[in-house]
Amino acid sequence: MLAKVWNYLGLALTYLRFNFKTHLEYRAAFISQILAMILNDCVWVLFWTQFFERFPVMHGWGATEVITMWAIAAAGIGIADTLCGNAAQLAALIARGDLDAWLLYPRRLLPHIVLGKMNASAFGDTLFGYAIYIAFVHPDLQHFLLFSALTVSVAFLFIGFNILVGSLGFFLGNAQSLAEHLRFALVTFSTYPAGLFDGPIRFLLYTLIPAAFVSYLPIEALKEMSLGVAALSLAGSIALTAVAALVFNYGLKHYESGNLLIMKG
Amino acid sequence: MNNLKKYWAVASISAKSNLAYVGEVGSRLVFLAIILYIFMRLWKVTYEHSGVQQLGGLTLPEMLWYLVLTESIIMSGPRVTQLVDEDVRTGALAVQLVRPLSYPLYRLFSTMGERSVRFVITFGAAASIALVLVGPAPNWHWHSLLFAITLPLAFILDFLGYFLVGLGAFWIEDTSGPMLIYSRLTMILGGMLLPLPLFPEWLQGPLHMLPFASVVYGPARMFVHPNQAECVQLLLNQFIWIAVFAVVVTAVYNIALRRISANGG
Repeated sequence: MLAKVWNYLGLALTYLRFNFKTHLEYRAAFISQILAMILNDCVWVLFWTQFFERFPVMHGWGATEVITMWAIAAAGIGIADTLCGNAAQLAALIARGDLDAWLLYPRRLLPHIVLGKMNASAFGDTLFGYAIYIAFVHPDLQHFLLFSALTVSVAFLFIGFNILVGSLGFFLGNAQSLAEHLRFALVTFSTYPAGLFDGPIRFLLYTLIPAAFVSYLPIEALKEMSLGVAALSLAGSIALTAVAALVFNYGLKHYESGNLLIMKG
Repeated sequence: MNNLKKYWAVASISAKSNLAYVGEVGSRLVFLAIILYIFMRLWKVTYEHSGVQQLGGLTLPEMLWYLVLTESIIMSGPRVTQLVDEDVRTGALAVQLVRPLSYPLYRLFSTMGERSVRFVITFGAAASIALVLVGPAPNWHWHSLLFAITLPLAFILDFLGYFLVGLGAFWIEDTSGPMLIYSRLTMILGGMLLPLPLFPEWLQGPLHMLPFASVVYGPARMFVHPNQAECVQLLLNQFIWIAVFAVVVTAVYNIALRRISANGG
């Protein structure tokens, strides 16, 4: 079992190195996308920090909480799209019948597909998340370690969610637009305090659009330095990723080849 | 007159081809509903916490209807920069230049055709959601249609900004970074989330003068608080900025054309 885990970790590192080298071939575009994403994130954080400072509408929510929420969400999305950039493209790959080429690869199909691409701007998200957390929250070592662990947990959540909504393509045919909007919905809900919502919407944030595992539990875990809450957040991410993998494997049986002839290097 | 007919045909074909994809709007509705719901919650809590009836001169229902307009303007924006970028990088621009059409005008009319359809559909959907959430627009009367006069000019101005960014493809590898920044500036400085009177006082004057306010805030403000004097001022600002952008776009386009080198075949 452990040998298998090491094997797949090795595969992930190999893909990471390859994808990184590919982006370095277009160095100027790569750097400009990273900088643009950092600037984009800065604009939003500045805006919402000002908003919650001017209207302290959420009890216990000030600049620190807004920055922590954005730092966790940005770093989580960043890690997810850096490592598994293809997870967000899954619906398109299925719709075009592009899985054919991947089916020939050794090992399981899903890791190959999701690891196959890196999103350049996601580097900017990751850098931004860690940089603002260190620069503005000034965490001690324990907080920083917990923050790092939580960003990995959030990354798993986003990867799992991307696979889950992308796999809808197996059942609906073309689910590109639906998957994209569901992804936007998760990102949008993840960047607002979960305390804003109550009733059925709160339930929704723990189930269909699991933003509470991004913008609520991790913030609480860091505030209280609670490993229990952090474990709950991680459990949610692992459960979602497991369900996503099951749905993908089940959906794969419905996959229809696109008879597409492509060259893959 | 003949020229006008040509470009009118471009706009009309673009509008018709977009009408064929009305179904795609269905999934966009989900996202729109989520955004409007989040903002309704956020502003509801903000009004309650502030203990006032009006913020920035708007009541809660007016604020939501303001957001209906700003979101519809932003979400209806076509992919102008990406199309220009693609045309430049793939060399498709060379083919366009052979046609008896001015490329910038072709793109302008094609965008206007597409955007008019997208705006009507998005606005219709957003207005239906707002009707359910807060009821009809409080101050609506025939003067509110003043916004319809300012809207086409807002779209032209918006087009010119994104077209200019797209022309950057003649000099840089990838324009997605600058486009991201430009779109965020339009959203935040244009008042998509926060009406300009809610910005710090020292910032309001400059923000009103910038082109972004003429694209987003101005038309939305005309809808919720129609005022003839403000409308005239807005139209004047729009004309001035369109003239400025048109001159810059023409100059940059002419310089860019000298960089085109095409091989036959």
